Amino acid sequence: MVASNTVWDNVKSFFEEIGDIAYFTGRFFREVFKPPFEFRELLRQCYNMGNRSMLLVGVTGFILGLVFTLQSRPTLMQFGAESWMPSMVSISIVREIGPVIIALICAGRIGSGIGAELGSMRVTEQIDAMEVSGTNPFKFLVVTRIVAATLMLPLLILLGDAIALLGSALVENIKGEVSFLLYFNQVFDSLKFSDLIPATIKSFFFGFAIGLVGCYKGYYCSKGTVGVGEASNAAVVYTSMLLFVIDFIAVFVTDIFFGI
Amino acid sequence: MEKSTSQRIRLGVFVVLGTLVLISALYYIGNRQHLFTKNIPVFAEFENVNGLQIGNNVRYSGINVGNVSKIEMLAESRILVQMMVEESTGKFIKKDAIATVGTDGLVGSMVVNILPGKENLASIKPGDTIASYSRIGADDMLSTLNVTNENAALLTSDLLKITNKILEGKGTLGVLVSDSTLAKNIKQTLLNLQETSRQTTIAMSKINRELADLNIDESLAGTLFKDTLSRNRIENIIMKLDTTSSHIAGITKNVETMINRIDNGEGALNYLTQDQELVQNIDTTLFYIKQSSIKLDENMEALRDNFLFRGYFRRLERQERRAMKKAMKD
Repeated sequence: MVASNTVWDNVKSFFEEIGDIAYFTGRFFREVFKPPFEFRELLRQCYNMGNRSMLLVGVTGFILGLVFTLQSRPTLMQFGAESWMPSMVSISIVREIGPVIIALICAGRIGSGIGAELGSMRVTEQIDAMEVSGTNPFKFLVVTRIVAATLMLPLLILLGDAIALLGSALVENIKGEVSFLLYFNQVFDSLKFSDLIPATIKSFFFGFAIGLVGCYKGYYCSKGTVGVGEASNAAVVYTSMLLFVIDFIAVFVTDIFFGI
Repeated sequence: MEKSTSQRIRLGVFVVLGTLVLISALYYIGNRQHLFTKNIPVFAEFENVNGLQIGNNVRYSGINVGNVSKIEMLAESRILVQMMVEESTGKFIKKDAIATVGTDGLVGSMVVNILPGKENLASIKPGDTIASYSRIGADDMLSTLNVTNENAALLTSDLLKITNKILEGKGTLGVLVSDSTLAKNIKQTLLNLQETSRQTTIAMSKINRELADLNIDESLAGTLFKDTLSRNRIENIIMKLDTTSSHIAGITKNVETMINRIDNGEGALNYLTQDQELVQNIDTTLFYIKQSSIKLDENMEALRDNFLFRGYFRRLERQERRAMKKAMKD
């Protein structure tokens, strides 16, 4: 009986949480188009999320392209299809691997950061103080962060893709004696807008999910300092899961509109 | 602004269900499962489906018209494939259409290709089974290719021998290729031919001129060419000549046979012409006949004077005289 109660409670709390996130999303959309707009805070958040993630994204992307090319080489060599390497690597990185890996990295860095920051503000009652002082904390803290994440993620993903291709080109240059010029010629020959556009649209949603879940978890943080840790942890876990769900849906939508 | 727990749970359920419906709808639309079109089942039996799977496309004249919905093993090397085909295109598939399993591209997934049948047959109905033929597998193709390769190897080795011989100047082709004198001769011959053809052209043009100058209507040749009556007559004459010549040929043959026989000593004539003794006998006989006729003449003279026949001869003389007188009167 206790066990069934626990399962039922878990299910209930799961749906409750989903419902809360839905309300939270609804509130975000109500607030985002309503003046006054916090541009200064938005720019600060963009700088925080974008510029400060560049190194992380760059290193990850470079290693991603490098390792991916190294691992694919032997298989392609078996078919004598090394010349397909640039097109294969570029399409898989631009379409799928780049956006997903970089979004996951950003979920770890940005999502957990937002969760911890807002969580600590909540437990130290700074948010309550803002409400009392007449400032709209949702607008100032949540809307700016979600918008900043939504805008910055596509840029970070494009940067990550480019650096991953550079890493791949480096391997090809060393191992396969393919010049950088030839490599990038082949890359741009094989890439189409139907590869790039769906991936870019998808990355906006990735950014939105990272900002939304991070803000939600931090905004409704409770249970003191332990709650801050839980909030940042849950933000990363939930965001990662949500990223794959979004990716899953994006693949189907892309198939319908662009035909994979 | 604070929402109740039940409201939050209901919204959560709605969001989760909505997401699931969205995902499944996208999945079905993405895979073009033809959810919103009316489909009819069509069957085909194969010996080998070459890795065909449920969900593979069905093509009719190159258009996707449905997909494979079921693959069932009926017996050894009898595989029943059920296809769901759009009803709108199903009416164009005739009963004698043939299903084959093909590949979509070089290394693509498998597809069922339905080849159109003849137009005068009825369209398929739901549940119909259409004819099929299994494609040749890659192994069979490779084994055939192996035989072809072996043959090609033999052919190329023979060709190599031939080309070597040609290079060494052996054989007719070799001489043709390597002998420079022959080439010169051929060149000279060609030049001569050229000259001859030039001369022929000149001659032909001269003949043409002569013919043009000739007043063909008034000449015999003109008559021969243009007059149909004369032509018919000439034809008749020639036909008769032909008949006559055939007769002459028969006669000649007979004469030849006769002469042969004569030469061979057959028949009376040979006896007459060839026998020397006969000639002598005839000569002697003639002499005797001559002698006898003289004597007979004498006997006759004597007989005339005989009293028994005298009256008869006188009567004859009288009749002759009368006849002469009558002739003189006329």
